[in-house]
Amino acid sequence: MTPDPDEDGFDAGTLGETIATDPIIRGTDVVKEYETGGQIVRALKGVDFSIAPADFVAVVGPSGSGKSTLLNLLGLLDVATSGEVRLRGEDVSTFTDREQTRKRKETIGFVFQSFYLIPTLTALENVEMPRMLDRTPTKTRERATQLLERVGLGDRLDHYPDELSGGQKQRVAIARSLINDPDILLADEPTGNLDRDTGDQILELFDELRSDENVAVVTVTHDDYVAEAADRVVTLIDGRIRDTESRRANFEEGPDP
Amino acid sequence: MSLLRRLTGRFPSVVIARRNVSRARTRSLLAAAAIMIGVVAIAGIGAGGAAFKQSQLDRIQEQGATNVYVSPGFDKEDRHFDRTDLMRIDETVGGAGIVATESRSMEYRRRSNRERGVSVTYLDDPRRLYDVAAGEIPKNWRRSAVVSREFAADNDLEPGDRIVLAPETDEDETGEFRAYRVTAVLAETQAFGVDQVYLPIEATGDRQYGQVRITTQSVEEAEAAATALREEFNGRKDTLIVFELTSLVRLFTSIVNGINLFLAGLGSLSLLVAGVSIANTMLMSVTKRREEIGVLRAVGYSKVDILRILLVEAALLGAIGAGIGIALALLVVLAANAIFLGSPFAFTSGSLLYLVGAVVFGIGTSLVAGAYPAWRAANERPVEALRG
Ligand SMILES: Nc1ncnc2c1ncn2[C@@H]1O[C@H](COP(=O)(O)OP(=O)(O)OP(=O)(O)O)[C@@H](O)[C@H]1O
Ligand SMILES: [Mg+2]
Repeated sequence: MTPDPDEDGFDAGTLGETIATDPIIRGTDVVKEYETGGQIVRALKGVDFSIAPADFVAVVGPSGSGKSTLLNLLGLLDVATSGEVRLRGEDVSTFTDREQTRKRKETIGFVFQSFYLIPTLTALENVEMPRMLDRTPTKTRERATQLLERVGLGDRLDHYPDELSGGQKQRVAIARSLINDPDILLADEPTGNLDRDTGDQILELFDELRSDENVAVVTVTHDDYVAEAADRVVTLIDGRIRDTESRRANFEEGPDP
Repeated sequence: MSLLRRLTGRFPSVVIARRNVSRARTRSLLAAAAIMIGVVAIAGIGAGGAAFKQSQLDRIQEQGATNVYVSPGFDKEDRHFDRTDLMRIDETVGGAGIVATESRSMEYRRRSNRERGVSVTYLDDPRRLYDVAAGEIPKNWRRSAVVSREFAADNDLEPGDRIVLAPETDEDETGEFRAYRVTAVLAETQAFGVDQVYLPIEATGDRQYGQVRITTQSVEEAEAAATALREEFNGRKDTLIVFELTSLVRLFTSIVNGINLFLAGLGSLSLLVAGVSIANTMLMSVTKRREEIGVLRAVGYSKVDILRILLVEAALLGAIGAGIGIALALLVVLAANAIFLGSPFAFTSGSLLYLVGAVVFGIGTSLVAGAYPAWRAANERPVEALRG
C-alpha cells in the first residue's frame, strides 16, 4: 500500500492548512456501470474528484451524463464498479451496509429536487427525522428548531409539508440535511422546482452554511445562476469530466500535487 | 418538555408508525377491521363456548359426578335389591358409602280433600344425602316424613305439620291413607333426583330397594367403583345398571372442546383472511412510500430500522383491530357468562385463555403478514427508490 499523502501529515509546518484542504471524499478513476436487461450501461467512465471542506461544486451536464450517478457515489448510496472512492482515507468499498449507513449519517446531508419531505410529519419533525431513532428528543428538538430558524422558517415549525411553499419545503429539506452536522451537503437539482428568487435564497443559505459551518456543498444543477455561484463547475458529458472551471483561487481541482 | 413528548421520544418507531397508519385512514381501518373480525370470532366463539361448557360441567358436577347410581339390571328377576344385594354391592365398592333408596308414587291428600300424585323416596337416612334446613330427623327414624323444600313451600308445610299419603296400587286405585308427621324440611339443592317426600325404608314393609347410590370422594373413585361393579355383577348377565356421571362428563367435555376448537378454527380462518388484508395494505403502503423510505435510508436509517418501523406499523394495525375486537368479544363473553354462569364476570380460565389467545393471534398474524412487505421495503436500495 502506498502511503496516503492526506493522512501522514509529513509537512508538519503547514498542518493547519493541510486540514483545511484535506479532502473529505476523493475518487480516483471511478467507473460506474449499470446492468439492465443484459446490457451494460457505463454511466461514469473513469472520473476523478475531490471534495474539501467548504467547497462549493456545481456539477453540470446534459441529461444522462452521469451527474446523479456521481452524486450517489459521493453520498455513499452506491459503490463504484471500479476505481477507488475514499472517505477520509477509508476505502468505501470495504464498508458493510451497516457501516455505509452510519458513515452516511455522520458525513452526508441530502437535498433532493422534489424535497421528499414526509407528509405525515410537521416541518419540525421532518427536520428531526434523521435523528428520531437516536433517543435524544430534547437535544434533537433544540437543534431542529435552531436550524429551522436559521433557514428562516422559525414561524412554520408546526406546519405540515402541504402547508408550505416549494421554497419553504426545500428550506425544510436543507434544515433536515443539516441535523446531523454533515461535512458535505449533496443536492440533486435543489432549485429545479423553484423560481429564481427562491433559488437565490437557497444559494444564500448554502453560502452561509459554508462560511459558518464549513460544510461543503456539491450540487447538480441545470440552472446557470447556480453554476455561476459555485467555486468550481464540473461539466460531465457522457460519463466523463470534460471541463472543470475554478472560479476562486483557494479551491484547486483534483488531488493535491 | 412535556411528558408525552419525552415518552414518544423514547419510542420513535411507534410515533412514525402511528402517523403512517393514520395517513391512509380508510385503508388502515379496513385492514384493522379484518383483524377485528378474526379476533371477535376466535375470542367470542372460544370464550363463549368455554362459558357454556363450564355451565354444563357445573350442572353435572352439582348433580354429583362423584356419585355412582346403581339400579337392577334387565336380567335381575325381582327388579329390586334386597339386603343381600346391598351387602354385595357394599363389599364390591369397598370404602365408599352406599345409600339404598326405593322410589314410589303416592297420592297426597290436601286439606281441601283434593288429591294429587307425589313421588316418595324410601331410605334409611336422608341426612346421608341431603342437608336439613328446618326441623330434625330423629336418630331412630321410623315413622315421620321428611319433605323437600320445594314441596314444603308448595304446600305450606313446616315441621310438626301432618301430611296424608296413600300408596298407589297397580290398578290405578289408591290404598289406605295414612298420616305422617313432617319432622324435617330439607335444604335446597341442585342435586339430581331430589324427591318430594322421604319416608323411612321400614314404611315400605318389604325392605326392597329400587336404587343404590354410591357416594365417593372423587371422580376417579366413582369411576373405579363403577368399573368394579360392572366386573362383579355384569359378567354374563346384566344384573346391574351402573350409571356414573363421570363418563358423561368426559364425553361431554371432549365433544364441547372439539366443537369449540373447530369453531375457533373457523374463526382463525377469518384471521388468515385478515392477514392477507394486512399484507396487502402494507404492500400498498410501502409501494406508495417507496421514495420516502429511500430518503429514510439515505439519511441514515439502517435496514433494521426500516424493518422495525414497518413491523411496528403492521403490529399497530393488528393492535387496533385486536383492541376493538377484544372489546366487542368481551361484550359477547360478558353476555355468555351472564347467560350460562349467572354472572357477567364469571370468567373461566378457558375463556380468558381464548381472549388472550385471540389478541396474541391477531397481532401475531399482523406481524407475520407485515413481515414480507417490511422485508421488501427494507431491502430496497435507496438509489433505486430515489431514482424517481
Ligand atoms: N439504476 C440504473 N440502472 C440502469 N441504468 C441507469 C441506472 N441509473 C442510471 N442509469 C443510466 O446511467 C446514465 C446516467 O444516469 P444519471 O441518472 O446519472 O444521469 P443524470 O446526469 O443525472 O441525468 P439527468 O440530468 O436527467 O438527471 C443514464 O444513461 C441512465 O440511463
Ligand atoms: Mg439526475
